[in-house]
Amino acid sequence: MVDVLKDKVAIVTGSGRGIGRGVIKLMAAEGAKVVVVDPGVNVDGTGTDNGPADQVVKEITDAGGAAVASYESVATMEGGERIVQTAIDSFGRLDIVVTPAGILRDRMIFNMTEEEWDDVVAVHLKGTFSVVKPACILFRQQRSGRIITFSSGSGLVGSSGQANYGAAKSGIAGFTKVVARDMGRYGITCNCISPSADSRMTATVPEEARAVRAARGIAAAGARGPQTTRRDPDDIAPFAVYLASDHASNVNGHVFRVYGGNVSLMSAPRVINTIYTEGQWSLDDLAQQAEDYLTMDLFNPAPAITPQQ
Amino acid sequence: MGDTLKDKVAIVTGSGRGIGRGIAKLMAAEGAKVVVVDPGVNVDGTGYDRSPADDVVKEITDAGGAAVPCYESVVTMQGGENIVKTAVDSFGKLDIVVTVAGILRDRMIFNMTEQEWDDVLNVHMKGTFTVVKHACILFRQQRSGRIITFSSVSGLIGNSGQANYGAAKDGIAGFTRVVARDMGRYGITCNAISPAANSRMTATVPDESRAVREQRGITTSFRSELRREAEDIAPFVTWLASDEAAHVNGHVFHVTGSTVSLMSDPAPIKTIHKEGRWTVDELIQLFPQTLGYELPNPAPAQPAPPPQR
Repeated sequence: MVDVLKDKVAIVTGSGRGIGRGVIKLMAAEGAKVVVVDPGVNVDGTGTDNGPADQVVKEITDAGGAAVASYESVATMEGGERIVQTAIDSFGRLDIVVTPAGILRDRMIFNMTEEEWDDVVAVHLKGTFSVVKPACILFRQQRSGRIITFSSGSGLVGSSGQANYGAAKSGIAGFTKVVARDMGRYGITCNCISPSADSRMTATVPEEARAVRAARGIAAAGARGPQTTRRDPDDIAPFAVYLASDHASNVNGHVFRVYGGNVSLMSAPRVINTIYTEGQWSLDDLAQQAEDYLTMDLFNPAPAITPQQ
Repeated sequence: MGDTLKDKVAIVTGSGRGIGRGIAKLMAAEGAKVVVVDPGVNVDGTGYDRSPADDVVKEITDAGGAAVPCYESVVTMQGGENIVKTAVDSFGKLDIVVTVAGILRDRMIFNMTEQEWDDVLNVHMKGTFTVVKHACILFRQQRSGRIITFSSVSGLIGNSGQANYGAAKDGIAGFTRVVARDMGRYGITCNAISPAANSRMTATVPDESRAVREQRGITTSFRSELRREAEDIAPFVTWLASDEAAHVNGHVFHVTGSTVSLMSDPAPIKTIHKEGRWTVDELIQLFPQTLGYELPNPAPAQPAPPPQR
């Protein structure tokens, strides 16, 4: 045990299992007092179980660390407020908020139900807002704090069958960039991790779906880099701890892709090709410029296929 | 009158005013039959007024075009379904969906209410889903269709005071990338526009807040161009909706004045790698000279104000 986060108090949502569990255990090992937030739902958001949060708290305290459990759902504002309150009540302050909590309900867009949309957006996107907002009230008063949100290649790049998850995860990246600008001047940072790791959640994406995408030439998000095949959820933790530390006090408003032994700085969307005219475009001129220059050789992630007889 | 969209049927949400109005009118002038969707709400989402949609329909039909109004709100699944049904009932089919409808409720993250969050997310992001989902059922059956969504640099890059709007708008970019992958193989395209134009909506961002951001060194998104007419967005959207743009799928375009730019997706721009898991100490040593080297902070910490007497 070392002390990169000595005397800090951290909240990690969804830390009963998977990536969140790895992050919170390493934070505790580095000296942070932690709130293990996990209502113990199934991957699709149903059910509740105190077991996962309790188990992680036990592992941390058995190892000599300080941890309490919270079984609140992040999907309501009251839940977010109670999670922040748990940190204050248990440890007297709050320094770090990490929000990996998430569920999956994959479905092609034309079949996706309202409930599948609402549930996924509520946990990921509103569930990030519900915790970050009350934390920001404290962070602004104390003029310090670290916020680490979780995005995904599914939203940043796009993954078939995940319109709900992709919208929520890309939305979290946008949220992060705004919060970084709202809070930066108070000495607070807000950054986003786009992780790739094998966990209970990714195990729900059927191999069949991966194979179908590949066979049909549909580009998949987060193609694994050539350097590594490591996809251990615990691999995300060291970089999250670094971002949460005093060493990263000027790292603000960025998205990092983390998997295995790789950490990448992601670009924000930027202009890569431009057409311009004096005054207003005529449709004919625009069509010609757009076709011959702006969109020439543009990558189509899912080209049209001829229906089979 | 041209015939770029001859015999096509188009839905344009939020087309009673601003950018949507310009698109509906140009599409109609290019031969499309148009459903002008607008419940005539105020910029903050309150109120109801049929006249904006009715006025645009009158302008189009007076000019010899074909248009019907629709006063449905996009925030419910039923509203989205009714909008699609209006196109089919009025004109027998649907070819193009453009989702411009949006509202603003700016607030710093630490003061943002649940309602301000929910209202903005519902109109922009869920309001995109409700219409696109129902259109996709038809588009998949007929194996053709064009979907054009609206994002914003507030989400792509980040704008202080807009955590709700930024999350929704980057969420729409993620949604667009997924839908492009879900629908592309059926010969359908889905792309997003990030517009910059003066409209009723942007007029609600006070000049004062722009000045404050500048003074405090908080980076804002793109600098404003000289030309910012709401009508300037229409020509490129019309081209994207045409048969000529069949190869353009899954991309984000920034459109302002006479400029049309292809935006990059978020992508790794620098990577550090090791075999196996990083330690926090290694990251503390390595990050500042690698990924963190000259990394901009969009809102650097400011000194605390002197205590009040």
